[in-house]
Amino acid sequence: MRRLVSVIVGLAALSAGCATTNQDNSSRLNLIKNRNELICGVSGKIPGFSFLKSDGTYQGLDVDICKAFAAAIIGDSEKIQYRPLTAAERFTAIKTGEIDLLSRNTTFTLSRDSSGGNGLTFAPVVFHDGQGLMVKKESEISSLKDLANKSICVGSGTTTEQNINDAFESASLPYTPIKYQDLNQVVAGYLQGRCSAMTSDRSQLAAARSGFKNPKEHIILDDVLSKEPLAPASDGQDQKLADAMRWVVYSLISAEEQGITKSNIDKKVQIAKNNPQLKPLRRFLGIDGGLGEKIGLSNDFVVKVIKSTGNYGEIYERHLGQNSEVPIPRGQNELYKKGGVHISPPFN
Amino acid sequence: MLKLYTISSTISFKNARKTLFSNSFNTIITLLIILFISVACFNTFEWLIFKANWKVVISNLPLYAFGSFPANEQWRPATWIISLLSLSIFTLWGPEWKWLRKNLLIVWVGTIPLGLYLLYGGLGLSPIMSRQWGGLTLTILLTVCSSLLSLPIGIVLALCRQSSLPMVQKLSSIFIDVMRAIPLIAVLFFGQLLIPLFLPVEIEIDRVWRAIFAFTLFVSAYIAEDIRGGLQSIPNTQIEAANSLGLNQYQIIQYILIPQALRIALPALTNQSIGLFQNTSLMAILGLVELLGIGRSILANPEFIGQYIEVYVWLACVYWIVCTIMAVLARHLEQRMTINQANF
Repeated sequence: MRRLVSVIVGLAALSAGCATTNQDNSSRLNLIKNRNELICGVSGKIPGFSFLKSDGTYQGLDVDICKAFAAAIIGDSEKIQYRPLTAAERFTAIKTGEIDLLSRNTTFTLSRDSSGGNGLTFAPVVFHDGQGLMVKKESEISSLKDLANKSICVGSGTTTEQNINDAFESASLPYTPIKYQDLNQVVAGYLQGRCSAMTSDRSQLAAARSGFKNPKEHIILDDVLSKEPLAPASDGQDQKLADAMRWVVYSLISAEEQGITKSNIDKKVQIAKNNPQLKPLRRFLGIDGGLGEKIGLSNDFVVKVIKSTGNYGEIYERHLGQNSEVPIPRGQNELYKKGGVHISPPFN
Repeated sequence: MLKLYTISSTISFKNARKTLFSNSFNTIITLLIILFISVACFNTFEWLIFKANWKVVISNLPLYAFGSFPANEQWRPATWIISLLSLSIFTLWGPEWKWLRKNLLIVWVGTIPLGLYLLYGGLGLSPIMSRQWGGLTLTILLTVCSSLLSLPIGIVLALCRQSSLPMVQKLSSIFIDVMRAIPLIAVLFFGQLLIPLFLPVEIEIDRVWRAIFAFTLFVSAYIAEDIRGGLQSIPNTQIEAANSLGLNQYQIIQYILIPQALRIALPALTNQSIGLFQNTSLMAILGLVELLGIGRSILANPEFIGQYIEVYVWLACVYWIVCTIMAVLARHLEQRMTINQANF
């Protein structure tokens, strides 16, 4: 009996403890600075986005986004602990505070963003994924229209199958779907020549292709059939951290718009310092305006970010560019000036 | 020819001709099976030696062994694994020094604090967070810590279940039955996803320890049942005899019940620990980069995409080797225990 009483008392004490701590509302931004280390949730299993190199370090686009955050918040892009997470764990890990932020191929959706759903807040999209099509180079197919009356390998019972059907129907083109159980079989069917094209998410197509014997003989078409905007995320309660993350991502895009790169950043800073007329550049690089302080960062956070990772285009080229091991055409991920969708609001 | 023929062996030449080639139908079947086996063997070896690209294994060996442990500190987990290995060899074939043999159990148990010290650091070594542990080191650590913790808990649970106090008996029965009725993966999900939600924010239990905690809860229920089997096979007359000798409750448990129950339960306990070692691979689904998890991470490296077979064959070999060592050690322990019993 005494044991039972003590258990009940213990539980009561625990819940009281929870209640008091939940009211504590200080931002994680300060916690990260005090800890002098960013805990970043990644996947660790997605080629091109985050994976383990042979020397035991993580690499990829998602990892570089983590580095940009660490450079902006702490001032050192190496002060990061990567936490490999599965899809099931990732939101709990944010809610419990096990990680500071998530940079793990997470699709930005309403129910994840809302307080009635997962209660997260998303930073701007860092990669617009979407369903794509891969064909053999020698087939000389270059767009959806060329695939009329051809057969296409697709995984059955997925939204992928639905999307390809919708795309061809709306273009009123006839085609023959060849359905398989999972992606590996789709790949096998495509390689055996049972279909002219295969379809899946573009990042997956690129990853699958880099495992082919002659990856150069296959191309991913520019057509995108569905929206999978992948964005970093953090706890929706924490406005300060969310603001900082949002503007770090925008700074990467804005730097590319202005042609500021890892190699010319020092020169740009010098130019801006010497020329008081260049007001937008001076604000962007933190010489005037005190923009960084408004989001809880140092005023020159942009300089630190670009120095450590380069601008968005450089990050993309490094991990997903034409010469990388998982090449994905930039397509939608180009700047708005070049026909893509990436655009940064002004740094004012 | 006669020498080959023994009663126990049925596959001698004489028997072979009698059973495998007795008539034409059997001959055809036998030849077909031989053909099948040799084709399978040939293809396997051809793949192993010529077709497989073992670079994915060779260039990542430190990763498989230690995960992303900092490179200049990797001697620490290496020391631990080598000490475990040499201790196994010593236990099996080492010299029969009495004082050492007597303390061998303490040495074995002592490897766990040694391992934790080497991995965590502190006291002269640079501290390393548990999230950098990985690979085989983490798999072994999960196994030894969980089994060391669950053995005493299992013994206590088994004794409680035999207890005459109804409250104690009921509570431990409920715990054991509930744990056995839940799949392991559910307990692990509970440990990884729910425990942090229940705890206040300041108290953060490491995910490695949460995994060990979940494994301990689960395995201790099974160990309790194994040991209860051992306890029940001890005749009541022994307890009565002990009572009449004037031993108290604790002495009876310590000197009479536990040693015998453990000896009887030993084969079952071996099963549990080998099962536990293999079950740690479930943590790969939950994001720990133990042996299987690190294999899956390596496969995401664009350099090695598509080399699933090499990686999984290699992992199977590693699991097989470690499990075999564990089984041989357990058999050795069983033999020694029966020798000790005979000496009584």
